[in-house]
Amino acid sequence: MSEQPLRLRSEGGVRAIEVTNVHGTSGFGRSERLAAVGLVVLMLLLAALVFTAQAFAGRSSTGELAFYPCTECHPVTIGPDGNPTSPLPIDFEKHEIELEMHDILGEGDKACLACHDDPSRNPGMLILPDGTLVDVSGDVSRVCQRCHFEKYRDWQLGVHGKDAPKCSSAGCHDPHTPSWIYVAALPPFQGTGIEVRAVSAREPFKPLAAPPVAPPIETPIWLAIAVSLGGLISLGALGYLILGRSKR
Amino acid sequence: MAEVSTTPPGVKRIIGVDFNFAALRTAGPRYWAFVSLLLTVGVLGLMAWGTLLTQGGVVMAMRDSYPWGLWFTNYMYYVGLAAGGLVVYASVHLFGAKQYHPLARLAVLQAGVLVMMALLGIITDMERPWRAMWMLLTPNFTSPFVFTGSAATLYMVICFVDLWILLTGKGGEKLARRMTLIALPLAIYMHTTTAFVLALNKSRELWHTAVMVPIFLTSATASGIALLLITAYIFQRLGIMRFKASMFRSMSTLLATVIIMDLFLLVVEILVVFWPTSAQPGHVVRFSEFLTGSYAFAFVPVLVLGTTAFILLARRSTRHLPALQITASVMYVVAIFLKRYSLMAMGFSVNPLGQPAPPFVPSLVEVLLALGIIALGMLIMTISAKVLPLEVPEDHDEGQESPRVEFAVEPTLEVG
Repeated sequence: MSEQPLRLRSEGGVRAIEVTNVHGTSGFGRSERLAAVGLVVLMLLLAALVFTAQAFAGRSSTGELAFYPCTECHPVTIGPDGNPTSPLPIDFEKHEIELEMHDILGEGDKACLACHDDPSRNPGMLILPDGTLVDVSGDVSRVCQRCHFEKYRDWQLGVHGKDAPKCSSAGCHDPHTPSWIYVAALPPFQGTGIEVRAVSAREPFKPLAAPPVAPPIETPIWLAIAVSLGGLISLGALGYLILGRSKR
Repeated sequence: MAEVSTTPPGVKRIIGVDFNFAALRTAGPRYWAFVSLLLTVGVLGLMAWGTLLTQGGVVMAMRDSYPWGLWFTNYMYYVGLAAGGLVVYASVHLFGAKQYHPLARLAVLQAGVLVMMALLGIITDMERPWRAMWMLLTPNFTSPFVFTGSAATLYMVICFVDLWILLTGKGGEKLARRMTLIALPLAIYMHTTTAFVLALNKSRELWHTAVMVPIFLTSATASGIALLLITAYIFQRLGIMRFKASMFRSMSTLLATVIIMDLFLLVVEILVVFWPTSAQPGHVVRFSEFLTGSYAFAFVPVLVLGTTAFILLARRSTRHLPALQITASVMYVVAIFLKRYSLMAMGFSVNPLGQPAPPFVPSLVEVLLALGIIALGMLIMTISAKVLPLEVPEDHDEGQESPRVEFAVEPTLEVG
């Protein structure tokens, strides 16, 4: 069997992978060459995607990395009993999240348990209004609905927030401190492994002390004087039109 | 028939149209008094616009609760009124309604001027009108304003081109018919997209209804025909044009038909809002404001005036009476203005946060701007009445080339 070296050849600005045999005759037809070009382009795109994902990896609304290389923090190892161990993060002890608004839900861990399932089972599961559990990749807005049902209804109607398909409460609000809102809405965690989305800067939400008061209408005095003069002229013209010129 | 080159002194032919400027010299003092009145109001409007440009939106009454005010009411109103002209024009050239033939030129002129007024309302509302071109250069296609604004501009151009065709007779009946085939769908498109400005807002309960578009079309057609009837009577009274009584009777029948369709759609809408099995709290609370609350002053007269106008025109035995025709037409023109105000207010009376807002009262600057635009429109009509050959000569088919002998004798367009 003859050796078939790989060569890269440039044809009209298109780089093509060509496989030639030792006798110099082409081993692939036109369709195969096109498929090879497509494969290269696809790989380049994939590489660009991965690079972009790495470059733009930030923190999601829950404080976790938006780009989720799961096994870096959660290595799966085999325990003495031969079964996989619980994939806890390396050197993980406990999450420490400072609550600003939701601290009213309880002291210490009680505040966490208001929304999260028991840590001994799966804290990644959240509690819905009917007591059932939902994964963080599920409809997390319904977790907020338990207390913020009016806002939830407004959001459903499209009155509050942006009624986009992927939009959820956690996409705009930091769920642990909901008074923090994101400048640009974040997509919820989809668990796909790749989130090509930079996390935007956060802005503190400043609630108004009172309903806004509309500024008064300003009318320049000279305009009022001009209107008075114009009104008099118009009245004179109208009077002439209706009554006609007095006959002497 | 060959053109007779006997244009008398004072008649100037510009782009094929004979402008009889001599008629202005022979106009009576009352004519000039009326022009002076319009000019005075127009100057006040210009001053108001200058105030807006230099001092900004603080001189207008539009605030958070009412981001759209009088200008939007007038935009909907004028665009609607323009529909009457097209209905008459299309009836003549598309459906062969010869009884409206003498009215065709006036109808098209009025339609063009009204759409121009509607567009001027948008321009003068802008605090930086020179930025208007960006809407055309970088259009946001999710906004219905892009579609209604461009349609209105195109419609205005088509109206004035139609007028030119009618005045010069160029292209004959064939071109006039073709222009109607363009103008009619464009007019429906314009009214539909104007209604979409309201109907596509899902956060404003009473706007977000599918029947908004047909209501808008029927209101527009009815008020447009009513205004055209009033204008025709005024022009006849001043001796500018002559019409047959049968034409007014036919218009009144058409008006009564469209009015009852308009009222029917409105009643259907109210029924859906209040019917126990379809009523939604947001709709009921808001609409109640317009029937018994602080907005009733604007909406209840719409029902009263509209019903009365229909009753006046409903009887065949009395429909021919000019007094009844004019009264009913004036009532419906007023009713539709109030309806447009109510339509605008229905979206803003209670904001999306559930906070009620008092009825919108325009500021002095907004009123002057609106009056200034009306004065400009009336000025164009007043001067056109003198200068343009609006009256269609007897036995003259619009399809024929204009014989150009109308001014062989001194015209007698004396007003006042």
